Amino acid sequence: MSIVNYFFPMAKEKLRKSLFSSYFSTTLSIALVLFLFGLLGLLLINTKRLKDYVMENVGVTLILKEKTREVDILKLQKNLESTPYIKSTKFVDRQTAAEELKKDLGEDFVDFLGYNPLLSSMDVRVHAEYANPDSMSQLEAKFLKFPEVQEVYYQRNLVKQLNSNVQKLSLIILILSILMFTIFIALINNTIRLSIYSKRYLINSMQLVGATRSFIRFPFIVKSVLHGIYGAIIACFILLMIFTSYQSELKDFIDFQDSVSLAILVGSIFTFGIIMTALSTYLAVNKFLRMKFDQLYY
Amino acid sequence: MAEEIIRLGNADIYQQETLVLKEVNLKVLKGEFLYIIGKVGSGKTSLLKTFYHELPMANGDGEIMGYNLNKMKMSDIPLLRRRLGIIFQDFQLLSDRTVQKNFEFVLKATGWRQERAIHERIDEVLNLVEMPDAGSKMPHRLSGGEQQRIVIARAMLNNPQIILADEPTGNLDPGTSEKLMVLLQEINKEGVTIIMATHDYEMIRKFPARRVICEEGQLKEFLLPAEPLDFDSILLEG
Repeated sequence: MSIVNYFFPMAKEKLRKSLFSSYFSTTLSIALVLFLFGLLGLLLINTKRLKDYVMENVGVTLILKEKTREVDILKLQKNLESTPYIKSTKFVDRQTAAEELKKDLGEDFVDFLGYNPLLSSMDVRVHAEYANPDSMSQLEAKFLKFPEVQEVYYQRNLVKQLNSNVQKLSLIILILSILMFTIFIALINNTIRLSIYSKRYLINSMQLVGATRSFIRFPFIVKSVLHGIYGAIIACFILLMIFTSYQSELKDFIDFQDSVSLAILVGSIFTFGIIMTALSTYLAVNKFLRMKFDQLYY
Repeated sequence: MAEEIIRLGNADIYQQETLVLKEVNLKVLKGEFLYIIGKVGSGKTSLLKTFYHELPMANGDGEIMGYNLNKMKMSDIPLLRRRLGIIFQDFQLLSDRTVQKNFEFVLKATGWRQERAIHERIDEVLNLVEMPDAGSKMPHRLSGGEQQRIVIARAMLNNPQIILADEPTGNLDPGTSEKLMVLLQEINKEGVTIIMATHDYEMIRKFPARRVICEEGQLKEFLLPAEPLDFDSILLEG
């Protein structure tokens, strides 16, 4: 500490001053808004991923005929996987199915019945685009055309429910985004206006000594845009910290490999920060430039 | 004959909705020294504000240095103010920066670009008011009298054609007031028009010049001779 004081006698005081000045709190307010903006952007970018994640949990079970040979099963599996609508397939033979059911029931039904009534099956997961009632019924018909398939089973109601829920969710996210966006704009605008408001007498004095409007405005805008840039840096830093700390929990919802989306996100945080601060400052300074001295007191 | 630099004809001057001065007729010649006297609140400052277009003129017509005060474009206001040196009653120093930066702002706002020329000019005006070391100080660290002198120095920065001084000796001790008056006289001799609103009758007596008085909402020439003036009665009236 003493070394710092020796070399920079003013450093400590200046640091304390700047930390507790309105400069710092303005930057912090902007940073927090931009952080929330980033979260919202992240949500929007990953809405499709989130939707797909939910929809692709819809499973279709193809019950296979009893006498199907293993070669045909493999062939069927290959055939299914080569279609554009199938995401994954998983073959469950009758023994495994029985074991699982035994576990679920907690009772050895094979022993009780004397034989295994279950058939081998194929668990199929379709891509999200096909996980709606219309496509599903078409797919069902397609599946039934395979000679090995005896029966197609899926939860129709679940598919319906999921679709309507996802639609509702999309609408909610849209409304929420618009609302949040409005709030962000209002918050940044208010922060900037307050910081300019505190300088209103200064602006008036500058006009009195013969400075043009643009000459007065320019330094204010530069300073605000700097606030915006620092705020964006802080916001991106916080987002990055959250990503890295919760990477494993979030990996199903957020694609960390998708660097294009992340670049767009970072880019829009900076763009939003810069445009909003510049625009708000421009409007706020103009407001006080138009005012006569007497009006400044109200 | 010297040319007119300020002309007001039948001008009504309003402060907000209140009529302060009615039907003002005033001609100021280039290079003239003019005192505006009058009681507190009689409209001296409002008259000066009209000159730099801080107060609009409701009726009548007015011209200052070729600028029409009735139909002034917004973009012309800064240009007019640059050619005036204004000593504000309430100083109007930029409180967030040092005296040096205050002066730099004025010079840069009025088109000065070269740092060296800027610094030289600032040193010159600071020497003029005998405060050569004030550059690094913040305005609030200066006393009222010191701020007053800084404002006077600032008004000189751009070698204005007119100096509008609103109570420039109000915060100064008699000795400094007199030095300031000598300085203003010297500037006036170089052809700069000086209009000074003041209460300081002692200075008017010592440095006699044309006087106009704001009285009962009107501006009149004050023709009584300066010497045998009964100051006590004027002060008592005020």
